Amino acid sequence: MGSSAKSSSPITTHVLNTGDGVPAARMALSLHRLDPRMAIWNLLTIGNTDEDGRCPGLITSDAFTPGLYKVRFETGQYWESLGQSSFYPYVEIVFSVSDADQSCHVPLLVSRYSYSTYRGS
Amino acid sequence: MNRLQHIRGHLLADKNMNIATTPPSPLTTHVLNTAQGVPGVNMTISLHRLNPISSEWYLLTTGKTNDDGRCPGLITKENFIAGVYKMCFETGKYWDALGETCFYPYVEVIFTISDSSQKYHVPLLLSRFSYSTYRGS
Repeated sequence: MGSSAKSSSPITTHVLNTGDGVPAARMALSLHRLDPRMAIWNLLTIGNTDEDGRCPGLITSDAFTPGLYKVRFETGQYWESLGQSSFYPYVEIVFSVSDADQSCHVPLLVSRYSYSTYRGS
Repeated sequence: MNRLQHIRGHLLADKNMNIATTPPSPLTTHVLNTAQGVPGVNMTISLHRLNPISSEWYLLTTGKTNDDGRCPGLITKENFIAGVYKMCFETGKYWDALGETCFYPYVEVIFTISDSSQKYHVPLLLSRFSYSTYRGS
């Protein structure tokens, strides 16, 4: 994936470990899009967050069409790698994109026993 | 009969009618509409348990939140075994009924019950463009 694609992914995320007050680095995640006719989720991208808790290059502008998307964050594995248990084995955020001209920032603020997300910019 | 006796009679009558009350569900939820500062009323929710062998979700309960955003009777103590559960909140339909769109067509919270003797509270704080959840009491 070229650097231009990475800097212009219309879907971005940022994972923060609010329990420790640090970015959640090296968390596995995946992006999926719903095929409405088949009613199944198509896997588009898998990756890991970097040291800053971000995962550039999730999707290209060309591939970014209106529809239902899902980001699955492997939070359970993340906490396990830190030697801790967690209430949530994973987190899935399902969101709706109606206008593919707009960017979508889907952050995750996560601790062992809570998480939150919002539509950001 | 004096007034106090009259009132006491009413209270005792109510208690008799509710003899067969079921114990509260060990798993509870509470939906708050944080955008409007009100409970999330009349939201459809469903509770599922993961079958670890087939990796399929088994539907346990469906219900709607009441005027306080709660949904009593989600599960009985007998059915509440250790495992992975999923609570699905129909957030898109909720906001649609209020004449608004929502970024999230639904919210699924997947959580692990390791000790089924404990009580678990899985609330959802929701607006059109954000939500949060936590393990409460």
